[in-house]
Amino acid sequence: MKIVVTVKLVPDPNAEKHIDPATKRLVRTGVETVLNPYDEYALEAALQLKERAGGDTTVTVFAMSPESLKEILRKALAMGADEAVLLSDAGLEGSDVWATSYAMAHALKKIGFDLLVVGGLTDDGSTGAVPGALAEQLGLPCITNARKADIADGKLHVERETDTGYQTVTAPLPALLTTALTFGEPRYASLKGIMGAKKKTISTLTLADLALDAPVGESGSKTELVAFAPPPVRGKGRIETPEDGAAGAKLIFDFLKEKKLV
Amino acid sequence: MKNVIVYVEHRHGATRKVTFELATQAHAIAEQLGGKAHAVVLGAGAARLAEALTAYPLDVVHVAEDADVDTYLLDPAVDYLEAAARAAGPSLILIPNTLSGRDVAGRLVARLGAGVAADVVDVKIEGGRVACVSPKMGGAEITTCVLKPADFGIATVRPNAFAAQPGGAGAAIETLAKPAGKSYAAVVDSDVEEGSGELALEEAPVVIAGGRGLGGAEPFDTLLKPLAEALGGAVGASRAAADAGWVPYSLQIGQTGKTVSPNLYIAIGISGAIQHKVGMRSSSTIVAVNKDGQAPIAEFSDLVVVGDAFKIVPELTKLIQAAKA
Ligand SMILES: Cc1cc2nc3c(=O)[nH]c(=O)nc-3n(C[C@H](O)[C@H](O)[C@H](O)COP(=O)(O)OP(=O)(O)OC[C@H]3O[C@@H](n4cnc5c(N)ncnc54)[C@H](O)[C@@H]3O)c2cc1C
Ligand SMILES: Cc1cc2nc3c(=O)[nH]c(=O)nc-3n(C[C@H](O)[C@H](O)[C@H](O)COP(=O)(O)OP(=O)(O)OC[C@H]3O[C@@H](n4cnc5c(N)ncnc54)[C@H](O)[C@@H]3O)c2cc1C
Repeated sequence: MKIVVTVKLVPDPNAEKHIDPATKRLVRTGVETVLNPYDEYALEAALQLKERAGGDTTVTVFAMSPESLKEILRKALAMGADEAVLLSDAGLEGSDVWATSYAMAHALKKIGFDLLVVGGLTDDGSTGAVPGALAEQLGLPCITNARKADIADGKLHVERETDTGYQTVTAPLPALLTTALTFGEPRYASLKGIMGAKKKTISTLTLADLALDAPVGESGSKTELVAFAPPPVRGKGRIETPEDGAAGAKLIFDFLKEKKLV
Repeated sequence: MKNVIVYVEHRHGATRKVTFELATQAHAIAEQLGGKAHAVVLGAGAARLAEALTAYPLDVVHVAEDADVDTYLLDPAVDYLEAAARAAGPSLILIPNTLSGRDVAGRLVARLGAGVAADVVDVKIEGGRVACVSPKMGGAEITTCVLKPADFGIATVRPNAFAAQPGGAGAAIETLAKPAGKSYAAVVDSDVEEGSGELALEEAPVVIAGGRGLGGAEPFDTLLKPLAEALGGAVGASRAAADAGWVPYSLQIGQTGKTVSPNLYIAIGISGAIQHKVGMRSSSTIVAVNKDGQAPIAEFSDLVVVGDAFKIVPELTKLIQAAKA
């Protein structure tokens, strides 16, 4: 069985980020790039499924990203993925959800898989719309927000979180699965894993390999970022140190009354 | 785009406030575009909910009470929505920004070749084009994104962003025909509701959030819940509290949890780490109760009361209960 995990390379979630006024894209210089946190959970799920399936099951990580970030994928290889594929092309810059899912779908078809594991949400674009769009482009059953997953009799059995509780869902393979953070903490790379990752291959695809029918990148996108601005500044408020609990409560109560919140 | 279509998310006919917010907003946008406001309600309980929706300023509510919608995971719902959109013609589709809303939005992006603007808090019509305003990167940038194709566009809308206001002359209810020749692969074997009856965190007008400073699970019940009830709000938490197992992860607010923008946010025993801040910074009013006046939360709170939560919160709850009585 071949499992492919999609991994987006994103600016460090803990860094202050901003948009470049000239290019209208995220400023990446001076900010470390990391594996999108949700995608580490997707990778963890894939590695667990591989361990349970045994045999000749493999895990491939896939990223669509500038070539300069290629080496960041070593972390995924160190965690236990067998190989990595990067889709990289200047023509992809500025792709929105539609263009991203369209290009990714063609690359993933070329790579081939039995199960596609996708993260739930990215830390930068945060639309959460790529998984659904990707499933449609690939004609796959789409099972999202898994907290548990198993493969038995060629079918995927999933327990998935919903906004009101959870569901159990069954679907035939090939399928697309996304993982919730409750799937389980991503593993750390072992020293052996880190050493082994150096010898694993990261291959590269470009748009020339995909023969797309429609344009991608900024011009092929269905959305256009026209403006952006920092939010209105929230001034530093009052800091009060009351004598006791009752005085503290009174301070808050009066403040809420003044704001018409009680 | 001319019309507006609201995807109504519900469970057996029970829906959340965001549905009515979208129904109200759909009318306002459709009026500017010179089109009609539609809603689509699918699955068990749809007919009953459609009746309730006629109190809002919609033109047509499309209904399909088809068991397949609940038997199969989203595939039939997406088919119905696609069919309704194609029948209505060029439309902006409004979808709540929830777990399943994001799935529906993604699927329609591919089906309709549409653009999607995510986590939208405002929609403007500029020169006939639809421009959507969203806080991005944890609210560090407010972006305006235009949906380019002239036929279909999609916005996933943040709950609490718009007001819900009944009105209008009463929508027509129409039955949607089942799209023909479809087969569905993902089967829902069981569907379990957890924590029913509680106000959804993202929709609560008031959020009372607790952190590591509470020291355990019990104060969430004995301290926070009564205050939340007195103020008509919901209880939330920091990741530290969720990681400690004091509350379920469904209550976690922040970068890896929920994003909330209530009228009032009270942070109790929460330090205000950047990953927490990004999930609540767009709240209208922020009050913090913290032992430490130097905690980062003081940088973005309207009022910080320095002191022990165990002494302050019960007194505050009493004051509010007394004022209500
Ligand atoms: C601040 C900002 C705001 C944006 N707003 C919008 C918007 O409103 N509408 C819009 O269409 N686009 C928007 N974009 C562009 C969008 O980020 C890109 O299209 C992106 O490639 C896919 O969307 P996402 O990051 O939202 O992914 P999500 O849908 O949140 O990602 C879900 C999962 O898909 C997989 N995935 C997504 N992208 C990749 C990738 N490049 N390589 C490998 N796996 C991937 C990952 O597993 C990820 O966990 C925005 C970008 C930025 C920086
Ligand atoms: C990738 C990543 C993602 C993350 N995502 C999130 C997220 O989504 N949400 C989130 O919240 N965090 C998140 N975090 C964790 C975040 O960095 C902080 O560790 C966390 O928010 C701290 O929680 P806290 O404020 O409850 O605890 P602490 O930082 O320990 O703060 C406790 C506070 O309680 C006060 N206090 C103690 N006793 C009392 C008392 N009796 N009365 C009043 N005050 C008292 C203390 O002064 C202190 O300020 C994330 C971290 C990472 C690395």
